Amino acid sequence: MATISRQLSNNFYRLSNGPGAIWQSFRIDAPLVFFLFCLASYGLMVLFSASGENISDVRSQAAAIVVAFVVMLVVAQLDVHFFRRGAPLMFAGGCGLMIVVLFFGVETNGAKAWLDLPGLPRFQPAEIEKFLVPMLLAWYLSTRSLPPRFRDLVVCGVIIALPVGLILMQNDTGTALMVMMSGVFVVLLAGISWRIVIAGVVALAMASPAWWIFVAQPHQKNRILTFFDPYRDPTGAGYNIIQSQIAIGSGGVQGKGWLNGAQSQLDFIPESNTDFILAVLAEEFGLLGVLFLIALYVAVIGRGFFIALTAQDTFSRLLAGSIVLTFFFYAFVNMAMVSGLMPVVGLPLPMVSKGGTSIVTLMLGFGILMSIQTHKRVLPR
Amino acid sequence: MAEKFKLNAHETETLIFSRRMIVAGVFIFALLSILIAWMVYLQIFRYDYFAARSDGNRLHSQYVSPNRGLIYDRNGELMADNRPIFNLTVVRETAPDLNASLEMLRSVIHLSDDDIEQYRTRQSRRAVPHTSVPVRYQLTEEEIASIAVNQHLLPGFAVEAQLVRHYPYREIAAHALGYVSEINKEELVEMSEEQASNYRGTNQIGKTGIEKTYEDLLHGRVGYETVEKNNRGQVMRVLDRTDPVPGRDIVLHMDSYLQAVAESALGEHRGAVVAIDPATGGVLAMVSKPGYDPNLFVTGISRAQLSELNKTGHTPLFNRAIASRVPGSTIKPFIGLGGLYHGVITPETVIIDPGYYRLPGRTRPYYDWTWWVDKSGHGAIDLRRAIYQSCNTYFYGLAVEMGIDRIHDYLLTFGFGANDAIDIPEASAGIVPSTAWKQENRGEVWYAGETPYEGIGNGIFQATTLQMAAAAAAIANHGVLKQPRMLRGTIGNDGEITDVIFEDTAASKQLLPSPEQVELVRNAMVEVINKPYDPEHRRHEGSAYPTLRDSGRPLEYPMAGKSGTAQVVQFQVDSAGNRDESEVPEEFRTHAMFIAFDASAQSRIAVAVFVENGGGGGSVAFPVARAVLDAYLLPRTETFDEVSVLGSNAQ
Repeated sequence: MATISRQLSNNFYRLSNGPGAIWQSFRIDAPLVFFLFCLASYGLMVLFSASGENISDVRSQAAAIVVAFVVMLVVAQLDVHFFRRGAPLMFAGGCGLMIVVLFFGVETNGAKAWLDLPGLPRFQPAEIEKFLVPMLLAWYLSTRSLPPRFRDLVVCGVIIALPVGLILMQNDTGTALMVMMSGVFVVLLAGISWRIVIAGVVALAMASPAWWIFVAQPHQKNRILTFFDPYRDPTGAGYNIIQSQIAIGSGGVQGKGWLNGAQSQLDFIPESNTDFILAVLAEEFGLLGVLFLIALYVAVIGRGFFIALTAQDTFSRLLAGSIVLTFFFYAFVNMAMVSGLMPVVGLPLPMVSKGGTSIVTLMLGFGILMSIQTHKRVLPR
Repeated sequence: MAEKFKLNAHETETLIFSRRMIVAGVFIFALLSILIAWMVYLQIFRYDYFAARSDGNRLHSQYVSPNRGLIYDRNGELMADNRPIFNLTVVRETAPDLNASLEMLRSVIHLSDDDIEQYRTRQSRRAVPHTSVPVRYQLTEEEIASIAVNQHLLPGFAVEAQLVRHYPYREIAAHALGYVSEINKEELVEMSEEQASNYRGTNQIGKTGIEKTYEDLLHGRVGYETVEKNNRGQVMRVLDRTDPVPGRDIVLHMDSYLQAVAESALGEHRGAVVAIDPATGGVLAMVSKPGYDPNLFVTGISRAQLSELNKTGHTPLFNRAIASRVPGSTIKPFIGLGGLYHGVITPETVIIDPGYYRLPGRTRPYYDWTWWVDKSGHGAIDLRRAIYQSCNTYFYGLAVEMGIDRIHDYLLTFGFGANDAIDIPEASAGIVPSTAWKQENRGEVWYAGETPYEGIGNGIFQATTLQMAAAAAAIANHGVLKQPRMLRGTIGNDGEITDVIFEDTAASKQLLPSPEQVELVRNAMVEVINKPYDPEHRRHEGSAYPTLRDSGRPLEYPMAGKSGTAQVVQFQVDSAGNRDESEVPEEFRTHAMFIAFDASAQSRIAVAVFVENGGGGGSVAFPVARAVLDAYLLPRTETFDEVSVLGSNAQ
């Protein structure tokens, strides 16, 4: 009886009559949006301090956040089947765009990765690959039975390698790494044999000396050497990480207070409003502020886990899982590098660092997550 | 019904996925735990360390240099003050690419290789890290503007205002005042720990003259402040400050007007003038020509400027006033006093001068200057006339009678042969020869033939212009010798002048001859200038009288003096006793000397003049001495600017 009434009262998509029902009809996942909103607000507050109380920086970041939320809501309106069906086409389109970039791209910071089309803000096609690669992989693997067989893995490898290769040709190692990881997460979640995973890790470990000797660029070697000993060049390569650690450590438990971070306000932290913004946060809000940030990330990731685990089909699950793990990877790598746990890689702190593109791309991913969550079909029981 | 078939597989797949998600969750948990543990380590366990590092980053103790004390002359004229200039400075630690920045600066401001080299020297001796070091001094306004425009390309660089020494009188008192210039390594090494810390904020130190002698008074005590600096080394806030104690302002005995008169009286000649107040020993004027602009040295003189200074070969940096040289006949009054004191002669002693002197039993003649005129002598002559006629023959004989060792002992009492000045440590001691001296310094015995020359000041004896002035002042002061001194005292806020030289160190000395004997010599020296031609007697006029008469201006006060002419080279004397004075190049011309004083009962000034290669003492040096006395004793009609071209430039 209850089932019938639920089926009658809900139209096709509704799962329950609970308080979330109204959100669901707008394709909004309320907890996720709430946590993201908290993150964005917290981020804006830190950014105001990190950019030297520059209100126009904060204003443009706020505008980017508004745009990003709109993008998320728009993407959430699209049925998850749209992504599934469109995956091969979108992937092909994405690769096409990157080939276009190779010829017509604009160079910034040494990476020829940007498209500057008239009428559109400048953007980096490789960013979207973080979703297109898992989408195609999820689509491919969902047509196979899991766990994937070796032949499937080869196909997956090709699907990952193609865009990664194109991005590497654009000379953008950081993004290539992220795209690769977003693909690897899909394969890992699809149930690839642990033996293969362990073999892969061992192979990587064994190949690393060869990489160091033959492939690694001097600046890459330098970053790794600096990680092990920042004081080998305290005013040069090691400066960022030394100053950043000083900022974090001197924050103590409670921090020096908003706008009162000596390291931040006196410009000792380089790139304090982008990659190294965590140092500002840690200095001014202390350990409590860091824990609060991590808590917000955990909340977003936890909600993502819930969405992935309750997704209804393999495609949705793999895609959602990959998006969540990529997000975690992003946040963790940034926090670990700024605090000196990892060599420096040029990655922003998600939702906090200044940069519109980064936020819009992230929210695009959360839009897909919300689409997965809110487009569940009621299966006949 | 494909769905049905897949249903089973679907559940397996869900299980696989869920397991993998759990593994991922565990990984995430583990990684976040590590991250949080690391943050706890950094922010709690190493908090003290990092908090200290953070303070070390932003808090800087810097030294605040004290303002250097001012130097006034006796009339309250500023002779050395401090003037603000703008310097380009750099904090090395905050300039990531110094060489590129310096290269860039060369296109923006005037920055020579010399400047950069000097900067590197300064940088290398800077003791305290994170303090700014001057790169270039005295930026022009255009340069300050260009630096401001390019500031973003010049991390670590800043324009800082600084007070530096300025000498408004430039050349006029350069040698007496000396100058300050950058502290060098040797000076830093010589300093005691305490001194060195007092100079942490100071770039300049007194190098010569008054600036060096009274460095301790003028410098003051360094102050400290704790400031907060940003990453670019800019001071954001001053958190704590101990004010520096400025150096003491000092007053000299020097009269800047007199200094300028003496300087211009020397005209184009090289030479020196020293004027002394006989009652106090205070140095009223000390001029050495050619001079130099001491302001060039304050912020470091460039090689080009230094070679420009030295290109004439006339050593402008050399202080001729305190360099010793043969005094010529100006020594005669003192030898005469010695003769009286030892009883070798009396005022009534008369000798017959045939125009030359011969040592007993020897044939070699020592000629009087009259010999070169007309191969005759002064005839019968006493001490008084021997002084005002400057008779060589008389003093040849007197010297021989006294003997070199008695001359030596006696001349020492006038302050010759030692640096008697209280606060002019750079002054030469001069030479007062004796048999012992010669044995010690030349390894030879004293030859009897050398003694006559000591009687006329053309032998080994050497004195500085300062010593001559002090000795003249002693005669002017009726035989009471005062040690020469530059400093009158320090000046307090209330304008009160405190003498910091204790009286007992500035002892005055009653000279050995009786007042009557001094009076005789004093009067003879008056006649040097004032004794007119006597139609009855040949050679009874004062040796400087013709010059006084030719000037057409009679003296308005009693003036005493003694001329002197020192030979630079030995003239060739032929067998007939003629010497060849034709075609003497300028640098071999005789040095002209004159000592003079105000001969009134309370003498107010004594002066010694030395004109290098000037010619005759009576004709060249006497007018200089007179100009100085005129300027001091007569009402001043000219302003400072009229006296000195340099003075007007300096204002």
